[in-house]
Amino acid sequence: MADALMLQPDPEFVREVNANSGGELKKCFQCATCTSVCSLSTEARPFPRKQVLEAQWGLKDRLLGDPAIWLCHDCADCTARCPRGARPSAVMDALRMAAIRRMAFPRFMGSLVGDMETGLIVLFISALLLLAIALLPISKFAVRPFVFAQMFPKDRLEPMFFAVGAFVVLALTIGTVRFIRALRAAGARGPILPALVPALLEILRHRRFGNCNAGQTRRLGHLLTLYGFVGLAAMGTAVGIGSMFGLIDTPLPNLYPLKIFANVCALVLVIGISILVAKRLTDPEKRAGSSFCDWYFLALLGGIGLTGILSEGLRLAQSLDWMFFIYYVHLSLVLTLFLCTPYSKFVHFLYRTIAMAATWQESKSPGRGQLRPGGPEVVSSEGPGLPHVMGTRS
Amino acid sequence: MPSPESSSRERAPILVVGGGITGLTCAIEAAEAGNPVVLIEKSAYLGGHVAAFHRYFPKLCPPPCGLEINTRRLHNNPKIEILTLAELESLSGSPGNYQAVVRTAPRFVKESCTLCGACTAVCPTQVPDLFNCGIGKKKAIHRPYPMAFPLQFRIDRSACPQGCRLCADACKFGAIDLDQRPAKKTLRVASVVLATGWEPYDAGKIDNLGFGRFPHVVTNVMLERMAAPDGPTGGRILRPSDGKPPRSVAFVQCAGSRDRNHLPYCSGVCCTASLKQATYIREQYPEATITVFYIDLRTPGHLEDFAAKTVAANQLELIKGKAGKVEQDTETGNLLVTAEDVLKGRKSTREYDLVVLAVGMVPQSSGLPINLLIDEFGFVSSGPPGVYASGCVKRPAEVAASIRDATGAALKAMRNRTNGAGHE
Repeated sequence: MADALMLQPDPEFVREVNANSGGELKKCFQCATCTSVCSLSTEARPFPRKQVLEAQWGLKDRLLGDPAIWLCHDCADCTARCPRGARPSAVMDALRMAAIRRMAFPRFMGSLVGDMETGLIVLFISALLLLAIALLPISKFAVRPFVFAQMFPKDRLEPMFFAVGAFVVLALTIGTVRFIRALRAAGARGPILPALVPALLEILRHRRFGNCNAGQTRRLGHLLTLYGFVGLAAMGTAVGIGSMFGLIDTPLPNLYPLKIFANVCALVLVIGISILVAKRLTDPEKRAGSSFCDWYFLALLGGIGLTGILSEGLRLAQSLDWMFFIYYVHLSLVLTLFLCTPYSKFVHFLYRTIAMAATWQESKSPGRGQLRPGGPEVVSSEGPGLPHVMGTRS
Repeated sequence: MPSPESSSRERAPILVVGGGITGLTCAIEAAEAGNPVVLIEKSAYLGGHVAAFHRYFPKLCPPPCGLEINTRRLHNNPKIEILTLAELESLSGSPGNYQAVVRTAPRFVKESCTLCGACTAVCPTQVPDLFNCGIGKKKAIHRPYPMAFPLQFRIDRSACPQGCRLCADACKFGAIDLDQRPAKKTLRVASVVLATGWEPYDAGKIDNLGFGRFPHVVTNVMLERMAAPDGPTGGRILRPSDGKPPRSVAFVQCAGSRDRNHLPYCSGVCCTASLKQATYIREQYPEATITVFYIDLRTPGHLEDFAAKTVAANQLELIKGKAGKVEQDTETGNLLVTAEDVLKGRKSTREYDLVVLAVGMVPQSSGLPINLLIDEFGFVSSGPPGVYASGCVKRPAEVAASIRDATGAALKAMRNRTNGAGHE
């Protein structure tokens, strides 16, 4: 009995994944249509059929460390083709949520994933924190020209943000350690550090996104969101540090290159988010598969972009009535995003990148089966799929 | 001594709708038990899908053989009236005393036709050969297929050029009447057997499997014609567009079956049919690779034995995993089939010369002028008293099961002739 396999089903895990994937998990009859129509699953690492089976069986440990759940880009091709309506893409999404929840530090914050109440509480706490900063004794409030520092003095705001930032970095680090441990335990043994560069290049190019049959719209939306966000995050950090050390004086002049760049990034972010929201609303599969987690993250990012642009516009218009209020909302959303990073869908940027790196080697050298006469295996090519040629039915 | 009313009731025949293997069997069984029968058939010939099959499973004998015996029984039985190109237009009344209106489309060729073929030789126009599932064409005036019964030519007037009379002029026997009109006939019948059968699922709707886009993707029904000696290639299985002998063939099971996007049910015959068809390939190509991609190999009852023997004797490769994607290599026209081998947990894409989609059965239950109880999949659950569904319109079935069901339906229909309402 050396080959005996001891399975440890976790019924609670089955219930959780079933509930978070639309309650159709047990409809799957393992036909594997999903895996064959998926453009991202490879010969060596096929998904999502196997993951759905393991979810039905409650094999929690295998699933939480399975890089495949992060290699899926949630295009829902599989759900569209599923003959049973078992929603494999929603199962993969529920598995990602389950993983985020269990990698979370501190653990109790893990409940934020998919939980509306916790999400709103975090938003509320952020707003209160900022209100406290704004309402502390005001020195030079409302002196023309109005600048945001009048309401949110930099010497209080910046240390607070950096403190929160440091906490988030700590939480992400611990999450990363937990995630890599889970990956290794589940058998993903590829080197991560050396593969980070090609994985990041892939993320910048989004080629895998393009391979999903769901189309180029979503790829464009995600790419714009990514570029816009990365640009803004880099700018925000640079300006924050610069102004804290007195190197930069805000507000920056309108035609200052960094300012122009940041404005472009904000526009790109808002356009990207709009595309993603439109896709979720119009594509019936995506719409049905969208969870609170998905909408919360989109709303945060989109809200940050919009309120940011609006704040700047109101400041330029010197509209005292609104500029501080909108900026207050803006900062609350930014702080919420900070606090939520390790516990929301946002953290996919980290786990997906690590999972892609950990499987980079195997994805470049697919396990080629022996060639069979007459029906040899063909390794699927990278890039767009084979063109469909119109043939005549004779 | 029977009363005049009951004797007239006894004279009312049984109406059998559909001349496939189920309808044929039902009509012959009832007639041989002494009951008059009217058998109506929508197409120009009897035999239905079975007439187009190359072989039966599990015995792998040719269906024309059994059909020939049935034809002979029909010939010898004066109690059966056969109407081809005929459809039921309305049905009213009650068991024992139904009024059936039957509409007959013109054949344009009379019984005096001697099958000499002079008409076909002069016919200037062609129509798709539907008996061969649209593989190839035939003249507008044709014999539906060599063994067709009734043995008469017919004309598909949809393709005739305006005013063309070439065939009528060429016929030495005056058997062609281009002025025939549709006719209606009202029949008094005691009971009705619905044996309208099935049609293959439209494979073009399964867009991930490439049928209709890639010429070398065919259906299981087409493969029967490709293998049949009276088929378009004289029985040689060749690739449809370039005529090359296939070196590798993939059977894709559940093509549109057990699938909520297509047919949610299992037709129960396609697995055995594909194994049967694999023997056609093996017989002609001893070296060919033959792969069957399946979800579950469903060969119920005694067919399990057939399956085991066929797989072993023909070196079939079975892969558990639905082939979800068929693409075409632009240069060679070969097909790339992607599937995950569930038992090995490996996904692969493999190249084949020919792909056969095992499509399921769609019951022909719609458009009938009868108030039927139809189930969620389109099969007839039940009809009004004195109306009995039989064969594949009732549930998907193989030929042997359809024949058994037809015999049972004949018995039920016979009771309405003697007992009026019968014992429902």
